[in-house]
Amino acid sequence: MANQVDKARIKENVARMKRETYTPVVPDMQMGFVHNNVDCIGCRACEIACKDKNGLAAGPRFRRVQYIEGGTYPEVFAFKINMSCNHCAEPACLPACPTGAIFKRKDNGVVDIDSTLCIGCRKCEAACPFGAPQFNVELNIVQKCNMCVDELEVGRDPYCVAACMMRVLDVGPIDQIADGSYDTKAVGPNETVVRQVRSMADPELTNPSIRFVPHSKGIVQDGQ
Amino acid sequence: LETVVTSCAHNCGSRHMLVAHKKGDVIVRLSTDNGTYQGDAYGTDTEEKPQLRACLRGRSYRSRLYSPERLLYPMKRVGARGEGKFKRVTWDEALSDIAQRMVYLRDTYGPTALLDQSYAGASYGVLHKSDQIEGLLGRFMGMFGCRTSSWSVPSYQGTTFSSRTTFGTIQDGNEDDAFAHSKLIIMWGWNPAYTFHGGNTFYYMRMAKQRGCKFVLVDPQYTDSASAYDAWWIPIRPNTDAAMMAGMAYHIWDNDWHDQAFIDRFVQGMDKGTMPGWAQGQESFKDYIFGERDGVAKTPEWAAEICGVKAEDIKKLAEMYATTKPAALKASWSPGRNAYGEQYNRMAAALQSMTGNIGILGGCAEGVGKAWHAEAVAYPYDQFANVWYASIKSDRWAHCVLNYPNLKREEIGLWPRMDQLDGVAPNIRGIFWQGSDWLNQLTNINKEIAAIRKLDSYGEGESLLVCMDSTITPTGIWADYLLPIATHFERHDVALPWYKGHYYIHRPVVIQPLGESKTDFQVFTELAYRLGFGPGYNPRATRDYFNDPTQVDEAYLVAWWDNVRHHQGVEWDWETFKKRGVYKFVLPEPHVAFRPQIEQGMPFETPSGKIEIFSTTLAQTPDWTRTQYGYEIPAIPKWIEPWESLNHPKAKEFPFHMISPHPRWRTHSIFNNIPWLRETFAQETMMNASDAEKMGIRTGDTIECWNERGRVITPVYVSERCMPGVVVLHEGAWMDLDEDGVDRSGNPDFLTLDNPSPAGAFAYNTVLCNVKKSDLNHRPGWDKLSTARSHVFRRDL
Repeated sequence: MANQVDKARIKENVARMKRETYTPVVPDMQMGFVHNNVDCIGCRACEIACKDKNGLAAGPRFRRVQYIEGGTYPEVFAFKINMSCNHCAEPACLPACPTGAIFKRKDNGVVDIDSTLCIGCRKCEAACPFGAPQFNVELNIVQKCNMCVDELEVGRDPYCVAACMMRVLDVGPIDQIADGSYDTKAVGPNETVVRQVRSMADPELTNPSIRFVPHSKGIVQDGQ
Repeated sequence: LETVVTSCAHNCGSRHMLVAHKKGDVIVRLSTDNGTYQGDAYGTDTEEKPQLRACLRGRSYRSRLYSPERLLYPMKRVGARGEGKFKRVTWDEALSDIAQRMVYLRDTYGPTALLDQSYAGASYGVLHKSDQIEGLLGRFMGMFGCRTSSWSVPSYQGTTFSSRTTFGTIQDGNEDDAFAHSKLIIMWGWNPAYTFHGGNTFYYMRMAKQRGCKFVLVDPQYTDSASAYDAWWIPIRPNTDAAMMAGMAYHIWDNDWHDQAFIDRFVQGMDKGTMPGWAQGQESFKDYIFGERDGVAKTPEWAAEICGVKAEDIKKLAEMYATTKPAALKASWSPGRNAYGEQYNRMAAALQSMTGNIGILGGCAEGVGKAWHAEAVAYPYDQFANVWYASIKSDRWAHCVLNYPNLKREEIGLWPRMDQLDGVAPNIRGIFWQGSDWLNQLTNINKEIAAIRKLDSYGEGESLLVCMDSTITPTGIWADYLLPIATHFERHDVALPWYKGHYYIHRPVVIQPLGESKTDFQVFTELAYRLGFGPGYNPRATRDYFNDPTQVDEAYLVAWWDNVRHHQGVEWDWETFKKRGVYKFVLPEPHVAFRPQIEQGMPFETPSGKIEIFSTTLAQTPDWTRTQYGYEIPAIPKWIEPWESLNHPKAKEFPFHMISPHPRWRTHSIFNNIPWLRETFAQETMMNASDAEKMGIRTGDTIECWNERGRVITPVYVSERCMPGVVVLHEGAWMDLDEDGVDRSGNPDFLTLDNPSPAGAFAYNTVLCNVKKSDLNHRPGWDKLSTARSHVFRRDL
């Protein structure tokens, strides 16, 4: 059973959604994530902290540590790509939503879902190239990372970032992360960040707000 | 929401801060250190005073606290042992029954009838401590006058023996921040990305990497530690580590890369010149390495045959280690959990000594690796702390029960005594499991089950099995009484760093005990009153302690904090500590073991005052059967062929060597029931891709691994990250037997052998087995939660 939703509110939000599809919200400051693919030990403390904060059962995972491994014994390699929602500049989920439940925040660029409007149709799940929207079977709605806006608004880090034992996951203004001017432990000395790594969908699709310190085997041409 | 600082509480090798967010008496969320709790700005996280961020296990604690497996009431068995049928009883009934049976068993079968199998599973604090050697249970049973103790520590007995023999102490560790100063770190079987060894060890190693440190991993599997630190991976056949190290020692001497000045000044028995006067003519370590007695030079080529590592690689590593300063050879515990595992640890100590990497910042003498000293005990600690009437190797209890009374003392590793009980095998009639899941975690579980069946055969009332824990465990299923113990969220205590790190974390009563839970200390105190020594056991308490421990616990902790203030120069008073929740020491320089010995010439705590590669004690032991070891241990480190390995003829029938490392999604068996964690990683067997291809096995297939001791069913993960001929199955799955005695959960201890190394090391990693595809069912947990590995994928790039 989906939520009982107010038809008038749906109408109003669909109108807003259409407006914002054609003229995307340009946030005052776009926040984004940065992750070090190499130094991440893949422990998933971030995932568990996220599940605890958001009260999720086994199943939906707002944050996902993905393991990439390859090579042939004994010349092997492994690295991690850690993603939640990338809070894209041009989110694919937003225009896909028939009720206008998905919106982008003006102040920090967080892409969020108004759960009271979600009817659980899962179209956003299909639209997202990064697998961010997660279907919650118990509630029959789609949920996803909102970058812990409640924490951001009081000047603290999202739970995943605050959980990182290796300090390889961070959050900040994506422009500054991209040009290297943001002071973060996620990026080591002599390391630079890229926009895309191997095994990741084309960032041209949605312009995701995330940067990576890539593994040597994860570097792609034109990754900048 | 109210927030309260507390910590996690397990025997996993680390200890981190948790902050409970409360609504009423319910914890609704956990967060961790954010730098503010000691009065600093939000986000403070410096090298001297880093944040103590909890790992995935700690972060999942809320689902363990409120899990369906939580024990809430005292329970009494109504079915057969192991059948899992219990009924709820009152505390009064349970404790009366237990007290009565204890007295009967002691009076009938003597002071060794009750076996102490306490372990640090759930209760590691300064006040409420479950511990194998000197915890609350040991003191209780000792005062009662009936206790058989279990002396060998499953995790690191080989290492303990090596550290005590070589350095005279197990305080041979550097603090975690010292790792940031190494130029080379050799992770020998060490996977801090899984074990989170120490407060921030893994993070300091990242700093080392950023400062140009090189990393090497010697391990049958390419671990996440190797990938994160970009290590050179040297795959090695399990249980052949000492041979490779001997080859390295040869190559170092052969090229004169050793530090002769260090050896001459600090080491006994490294070469002829450093042999003690009384032992002239006996074999020195160098004599052994060059084969002067046995005619076998332990060259890299000799080692390569045994351990499957190319001789060039052995030479290259030896050169790297001997010529890089400072270099940390971190000889971890797991290769020591083997037949003759102590020889591996002692061989590592020989390499550390001959290269002069001891007592210097960035070097490493570990070993056991205990470093900064914490004031660890707030409960009464006196002459009753560790009283026992027999003490056996911990993994030999089942052997003892099954073979009593036809036992030789060396079979069970009886610790010598000075009285008439010396050498007398205990007639074990009862077991106390406190914070311990040993039936699930010791070796050769089928033999343990047979031992319990033998206890059954004595008849009702002739034996006693008691399990004290906060959840039902695979061991608890076999108990006669289940006593619900309050978790560390429900009692007042202070947390210590377990392994490395220098801090204390206050643990208040965050929520009231769930159900009828009581603390261990409450239960033992009340039992002691029933048995007539209540005031002696808990001198600060009256009998009302069972109903309200608040004031008494506070008094113990205040007295403990006074010690801390006196001994460790802490300025804060108790109230400030309680208010802040955490006290982090800022050390003037990273703590390095044996710095005073090396810099100021203080003696080592060995008989000779030197680093004893040639051991005085071992060389002077006339009769091994009279020692706790039972069998001969050479005075110098030597390569000794283990009783099972890929080089053994038995490998024809059982061609795979199974290792069972620590998983990171559990602490041993703790947290196996947590859906969040089960979702992150699956209980599966990892095997090499070429092996799998030959057998037509693909990732996701169900396989069975078996040998003459048992059989387990798991999914398989086929990977290039594992050495051919080796299978990896993580320890700690909750056993789940089908009607044919096959374990569906995949607990590797159905395949391990309960035969300890002479020094007491558990031979957890000395296992040959065979593997095949299977139609049998795998059940990852008692709740049948599905465990997809959909998030883990391999892509050939």
